[in-house]
Amino acid sequence: MTTVAHTSATSADAVSADPQIVAAIVTALCDVLGQELTDITAETRLFDDLSLDSTAVLGLLMALEDALDMEVDPESLQQHHLESVGALAGFIAESR
Amino acid sequence: MSPPLASPVRHAPAPPAAGFLDGARRALTGTAGTPLVLLGNFEVEDEWAKGESGLPMLAGRNSAAIVNRMDEFALLLAGPDDHVVLKSAPDADYLDHLASLGVELPTVLVTDVQDPAHSVTVDALRSPRLMASLRELAGRGARLLPHGQSALEDELCERTGLASALPPSPLVKSVNSKIYSRRLATELGLPLARGWECETVGAFEEAAEEAVALCVDQGRRVGVKDAYGVSGKGIAVIDDSRRLRQLVRMVARGAAKRGDDRIALVIEEWADKTTDLNYHFTVGRDGSVRFDFVKEALTQNGVHKGHRFPAQLDPGHIAAVQDASARIGARLAADGFHGVVGVDAMLTRDRGLLPLLEINARNNMSTYQTSLQERFMRPGSTALARQYELSPTARVSFARLRDRLGDLLLDPATGRGLIINNFATVNAAAPADPDGRPWTGRLYGLLLAGSTAELDALDRAVAEAVRKETNPDD
Repeated sequence: MTTVAHTSATSADAVSADPQIVAAIVTALCDVLGQELTDITAETRLFDDLSLDSTAVLGLLMALEDALDMEVDPESLQQHHLESVGALAGFIAESR
Repeated sequence: MSPPLASPVRHAPAPPAAGFLDGARRALTGTAGTPLVLLGNFEVEDEWAKGESGLPMLAGRNSAAIVNRMDEFALLLAGPDDHVVLKSAPDADYLDHLASLGVELPTVLVTDVQDPAHSVTVDALRSPRLMASLRELAGRGARLLPHGQSALEDELCERTGLASALPPSPLVKSVNSKIYSRRLATELGLPLARGWECETVGAFEEAAEEAVALCVDQGRRVGVKDAYGVSGKGIAVIDDSRRLRQLVRMVARGAAKRGDDRIALVIEEWADKTTDLNYHFTVGRDGSVRFDFVKEALTQNGVHKGHRFPAQLDPGHIAAVQDASARIGARLAADGFHGVVGVDAMLTRDRGLLPLLEINARNNMSTYQTSLQERFMRPGSTALARQYELSPTARVSFARLRDRLGDLLLDPATGRGLIINNFATVNAAAPADPDGRPWTGRLYGLLLAGSTAELDALDRAVAEAVRKETNPDD
């Protein structure tokens, strides 16, 4: 089990993050990382706090497509969209 | 696949008597005394991948910062008459420590600017003072020996007048494609995993359906790889036909948006391996091929983690990789390539050998161990090259880490212990203003011991010392 509770510079994303999308991201992260995750917030950093690696990003995106019944535009994805759960939620919201 | 063979033996990598670097110097520049300027532009694949369409893959900012500071590996490959370009000066205590081991260090040239997000070459191109020094070295006949040659190193050569020891980047890029590797294996009749080379979206769609029918629906996984991806990074391992088709649709959407259906991907059946191997040879300007060594490669989820050597190999496997080196090297030379080459290979569960998984026609991690193993490794000793993860909240000085490691560090008198071969990566991802949150650091080391048991004990002790350093309250 991983417990994380952090603040970050992406608080703007955190404030505006859609709770449904954040919940879907947490579920997808548990699936991709193969572990139970607790205390995940919109401010949790994907790479630094959760040790997500570049190969797992693709699996995460496909899991989110399934969970939210949507299609991700991989051409639009930028590094800053993966800074935190909130930043990714913002990217997903724009893609829907 | 080659037949299973018996009687594993310890195969010492035994670099050539003249030394790996001096051999490469002669092979790549034509003369023995050519001074080199080494440049550790790691993950040069990112430059080769520009303009190519593959898988949507992104890494974190800190990962890039660490990779960019792997430039410091070049310090321990270069000879005393060479120069090394680094993004920042090494820790002075680290240099003193290396000197105390008897290592003859090259002259260090430091870029004027250091942006953690940029490779050493990008920083160098933005460094007028450094560029002037390189022009002066060019005038003295020095050659550039980068980690790998991309358009950025072409530009560096053009702007400084330094000739490269490697061919121009378009040629180097072409032989580093995983599509090239697969086609070469087929042409040479080398055993390879079932797979498909995909250069258009249509070809990818057709290949994926064949892969579903022949592999995934039969319970076997496939890997979808970026043709220009970094080893172990630009890859998706898939065991579900729905997921594979979903990935095809994602790639197709990206291509449609670009209005260009060209892609560069391969699909391969995921082989059931027991051991990853990395073998290494040098292709000279004259077309000669020198076999350098074979090592056991340590990987985790396909990502490189280190090496063990001597590799435990059957005599037949050693002969097979030497034969593959000669044939692959000759073909590379015929295509106009010269340079250092590492090939990833694997032993399968039935002790068969897949001798050509991918060609890395650039320096490999194993390349950077050669000078140290020549200097410190003794007959009968065994080595482990690996990385240790740290989570510091404040910058770690070399002196502090040296004191923490104490007797675990190499004793030149016995030839046993840890040699730190990259310290810059420890603090590479440190924020400008640490805020108490941990960052990821990485310490690279080469461990030498008299037996496997002694080596494993040393590894455990180093891991524990490093853990205590970044978790002092434990």
